[in-house]
Amino acid sequence: MLEIKNLHANVDGREILKGLDLTLPTGEVHAIMGPNGSGKSTLANVLAGKEDYEVTEGSVTWKGQDLLALSPSERAAAGVFLAFQYPMEIPGVATMTFLRSAVNAVRKARGEDELSTPDFLRVVKEKAKDLKIDVEMLRRPLNVGFSGGEKKRNEILQMALLEPGLCVLDETDSGLDIDALRIVADGVNKLRSPERSMLVITHYQRLLNYIVPDRVHVLSAGRVARSGGPELAVELEKSGYAEYGGEATAA
Amino acid sequence: MDLPVQQFRTKAEQELLDLYTKAASALPGANNPFVAALREKAIKTYGSLGLPHRRVEAWKYTDLRARLDEAHPLIAALGAAVGETELETALGKPIAAFPGYRLVLVEGELRVDLSDMAGLREAGAEVTSLAHALEMPPEWLRQTLGQVNPREDDAVLALNTALMTGGVALRLPEGVTLKKPVHLIHLDGTGAPVTMVTRNVVVAEEGASATVLESYGSLGLKGLQRNAVTEVKVGDKAAIHHIKFQREAADALHLGVWLANLGVDARYNAFQLSTGASLARNQLYVRFDGEGSATDVSGAFLLRGKQHCDTTLIVEHRVPSCESRELFKAVLDDEARGIFQGKIIVSPGAQKTDGKQMAQALLLSETAEFDSKPELEIFADDVVCGHGATSGQIDEDLLFYLESRGLPEPQARALLIQAFVGEAFEQVEDEVLREAFSAAAADWLGVPAE
Repeated sequence: MLEIKNLHANVDGREILKGLDLTLPTGEVHAIMGPNGSGKSTLANVLAGKEDYEVTEGSVTWKGQDLLALSPSERAAAGVFLAFQYPMEIPGVATMTFLRSAVNAVRKARGEDELSTPDFLRVVKEKAKDLKIDVEMLRRPLNVGFSGGEKKRNEILQMALLEPGLCVLDETDSGLDIDALRIVADGVNKLRSPERSMLVITHYQRLLNYIVPDRVHVLSAGRVARSGGPELAVELEKSGYAEYGGEATAA
Repeated sequence: MDLPVQQFRTKAEQELLDLYTKAASALPGANNPFVAALREKAIKTYGSLGLPHRRVEAWKYTDLRARLDEAHPLIAALGAAVGETELETALGKPIAAFPGYRLVLVEGELRVDLSDMAGLREAGAEVTSLAHALEMPPEWLRQTLGQVNPREDDAVLALNTALMTGGVALRLPEGVTLKKPVHLIHLDGTGAPVTMVTRNVVVAEEGASATVLESYGSLGLKGLQRNAVTEVKVGDKAAIHHIKFQREAADALHLGVWLANLGVDARYNAFQLSTGASLARNQLYVRFDGEGSATDVSGAFLLRGKQHCDTTLIVEHRVPSCESRELFKAVLDDEARGIFQGKIIVSPGAQKTDGKQMAQALLLSETAEFDSKPELEIFADDVVCGHGATSGQIDEDLLFYLESRGLPEPQARALLIQAFVGEAFEQVEDEVLREAFSAAAADWLGVPAE
């Protein structure tokens, strides 16, 4: 279970999260929606442990553990995974090398044996196939020259390989056409399980047609302004974020 | 001796002259008029130039005169014991294990007992110890030594010619292609500080090709002052891949000069990786004498502490339709200083020249420094030339991305540094060598090789 209590966080000295409370039970999928600037991405980055996001007050507990006390890599080992809105391009690092380093680093931190090269290749190929990722793509430098869809599929592949307990998807639908969206959503749905919690951050309801959440939370000015069932997302699609400080037009 | 008078000489400058005066009659080839004349002319050149200093433009960032307090005596070979263990300690496992025709220079002398002269000769090459060849130079050597892209303005080169004691003379006759690379291993010795002056000459005749790796490592000698020159003559349709790996002791002075010229439709690719020495100056001079040829001069240095490494190169396009590429990468930590000076000269008439260079530095500390000075001297109008330089720190966003995937910070940092220099290693054609360099970089970073 993820428990966020009275979370305050600054970016460049400006307070973005202003007392956010959220409880995500194990096995559930919650969506975080809200207008631009409401703190959605800040929440994602705070959970993953990005340095420039300064927590000034409040707590984040994951499986009873103080998440904020851990470094980003320790959080990954503890099962936290952030699917980036804008995955980084790293020339000179072959995707496959990166995947293997990540998997083995996490396994090592969890006290498991490293995967042998053949075992690793077998697992990667199997999971890549589910996401319609060509193995040739994995020989290329990490995300370099990848299309928007390829980058997002690569994020979900990493998620599948690292087997996290908490998946945070930051605007995973941005920049995807409908076919790519479907592949990514299928990949995410395949990872839903009673042991895994997910936080799906999105501006639009579209993604939630494919990844149906158990709960929807609307952020406004750095706090949860409203929570409800999946129907809340549909309602927002019609009414827009006007009453939450967003623009008056429908999202 | 008839030396030009200079107003003032530093202690080291005078000592270098004295080294010659004392040793001249005992240097290899002292009784050969051709060699003696070559040395005599060179010491005069040095005498009038003195040691280069910061007011000499090409030495602006590396004031050798100020940094050299004294010149150590010339090395006397004592027959240092060298086995696989010593090679591994001196060069690191990946380079020591590099499969090639080994030619091992210890204490400035070619050690025939450690070298695969027979293998090279069977493959069709002519190979001898330079010290031996200087006593009675064969015709091909007389036409090459000191004549491959000669530089009258280079004091380091002049000192080398005057004082060279050993090295390798390698000739690849017409059409000979070596299947295995030649590995020229340069080790110092043990004991007290010395000056070591070596010279290699490589001639690839028409259509010949080979990869020549020069590696430099330490056996534990203190205060080495090394001056190492290699001349490479690349004939028509010939190809030489010339690689250097330098990881000498932390207190060593390493002065290296590579001189190359290319005939028609020839290829010369040079690559240098430096991680050693306290002060290293790598000079590369490449000249196109025949049309349709190409060169790639690239490299990387990984430095920490107060290490200083300067790579200065001049690529001279004298004829039309040649292509030159340079890519240098510097990783600098602590108070290390990296320098890259690259000059491309396009002579009048050298139309259709295509020259590009790039120098990039990754600074790992606030006190590290990188100086880059690209220069283009273009006297023809139909050419494509360009240069660029960047200098920056590790991208925190990339670091976070890797850390968020479970890589602990030091490992994530190392991976990004490896990726940065890895791009330069791509210029090395030999795959085994490329992997050995990646392993050497991992070794420098203190992480396991991939």
